[in-house]
Amino acid sequence: MREIRLAKKIIFTLVKDRVQYNGRLIADFLSIFARCGVLLILYWYVFKLNNGLVNGVTYITIAWSMFLYFTFSVLRLRDISKEIMRDIRSGSVEILLSKPVSYFWYKIWWQIGSGIYPFLVIIIFGGIILFSIIGIPETMSLGLFIPTFLVVFAGAAILSLILYSIVGFMAFWIEDINPIFWMVDKMVMILGGSYLPVALFPSFMYKIALYSPFGASQFITHTVYESWKTNWFLLISIQIFWIVILSILAYIVFLKARKKVSVNGG
Amino acid sequence: MKSESIIISNLSKKFTFPVKNKSNSWIKNLFKPEIREVVAVNNISFSVKSGERIAFIGPNGAGKSTTIKMLTGILYPTSGKASVLGLDPVKDRKKLAYQIGTVFGQRSQLLPNLPLTDSLEFFGVMYDMTEEQIQSRIIELTKLFELESFIDQPVRKLSLGQRMRAEVAASLIHKPKIILLDEPTIGLDVVAKKTLRDLLLKINKEEGTTIFLTSHDVGDIESLCDRTIIINHGIVIKDMPTEDLSTSFIFEKYIDLIPMTRFESFHELPEGMKYVLKGANKITITVDSNKISVQKSLKKLLEIFEVEDIDVYNADLETVIRHIYERN
Repeated sequence: MREIRLAKKIIFTLVKDRVQYNGRLIADFLSIFARCGVLLILYWYVFKLNNGLVNGVTYITIAWSMFLYFTFSVLRLRDISKEIMRDIRSGSVEILLSKPVSYFWYKIWWQIGSGIYPFLVIIIFGGIILFSIIGIPETMSLGLFIPTFLVVFAGAAILSLILYSIVGFMAFWIEDINPIFWMVDKMVMILGGSYLPVALFPSFMYKIALYSPFGASQFITHTVYESWKTNWFLLISIQIFWIVILSILAYIVFLKARKKVSVNGG
Repeated sequence: MKSESIIISNLSKKFTFPVKNKSNSWIKNLFKPEIREVVAVNNISFSVKSGERIAFIGPNGAGKSTTIKMLTGILYPTSGKASVLGLDPVKDRKKLAYQIGTVFGQRSQLLPNLPLTDSLEFFGVMYDMTEEQIQSRIIELTKLFELESFIDQPVRKLSLGQRMRAEVAASLIHKPKIILLDEPTIGLDVVAKKTLRDLLLKINKEEGTTIFLTSHDVGDIESLCDRTIIINHGIVIKDMPTEDLSTSFIFEKYIDLIPMTRFESFHELPEGMKYVLKGANKITITVDSNKISVQKSLKKLLEIFEVEDIDVYNADLETVIRHIYERN
């Protein structure tokens, strides 16, 4: 109960904080509009050249898949790595460790609170704009879409936070995690479908995207594919598997990292 | 009889880090670097009673902050034991955090973009206080720390003095039994320093809060702390009432001489006397009264110099502390 109250307080406080800075929200919106928009225009052209179908997938499906990927990135869950690194390098970690909270959980709620406001605004407004321009794929009109989307969205958020937290905890040993962060982040981007939607992957790459934690952390992009109707259960199971494995790993790494704390001063 | 708030016995902390050895190949430096060990705290022991006001001082790198961080459970000791309010800071870190407050002078715990009230409410929830408890404590702290004029301002717009008052207030939201302050007056002007010291004295008297602070500011020690523990190279070298500290170098006297016109030459002085300042308009001399009496030194000085005014005084606390550091 106490943890829920604290999580609520962190999230509401940060939403209040972010609401004061609408400039950043506009910047996020423009950034999504630019990055996603350019890709959507390019894909529209490619699909037009190919009579509207590539690898058996329609343009509407690909557009929504990319939109979900970019909108999910607005949550900035990946930034948890850099936040942890900043705490360790600046020594600010000591402030949280002197409070009656779990550093790990606190950072997770903090990261969710930091991104939830722009995420909600962008998914609602961006979704309305995309819907009014191109409509929605058939999968999104099915009854199972919303409940399975919510489950897979929660799974993707948890998995991303755990994955990037493990990268962040590396800072307890090596301080500068940027090279590791870069590798993991690029894996997530590629296998998550940032450059090329997963539906257009060659079969061996598709399998890697499906069974690796990097791809699993972006499974929301799969929810609009036609195959979602049949493989949603498999994908959610893969997510749960990785969440369990990586949570155990993150917990072990964190316990070891706690002993490595060495803050400035003294 | 007052109970012990803090008991430290044989506490040590060693830090190890890899260092490059220029004579080794880069492969060896990468995979098997030399490990250097720094002993930040070396086998220290002391205890603190409830309600005491302790200055825990020492030069930079002496081990002060490391000790505070071990007392709060932030750092794991390498060996020895610490007990704070009967709890082990490492095993019971969260439980202990409910009963202690911390202020790290060089880091802020407040939410920079939001009004101070938000930070206070935020910490109230963190310490599991009810809404009523939080609101009534905010009213108390606002009155005590005179926060009315800026409580609704975003923290980043506060002056350093206001921010430090706010930091201390935030760390007291849950009425801790002990407050540990790491250089709380760093960077503050004289007025802000005095205000903060007065407030700390007030919470010590009114709420019985034990104060344990590190500082390089002699004013903090003199006006706030009834006991001073000096640490250097990780070892406790003095632990005594602050008022006794000032008299620990009582044998050393200072003499200021002001010239009739100007001091032109500076003669050699007898054993036990040393120039501290040689100026045309002022000379300061130290006298070791174990070697030469003040009376004899004055007589000697009056023989050598033509003076208009003389001032004889004891070393101030800052000088005493400097001497203690230098001797160790």
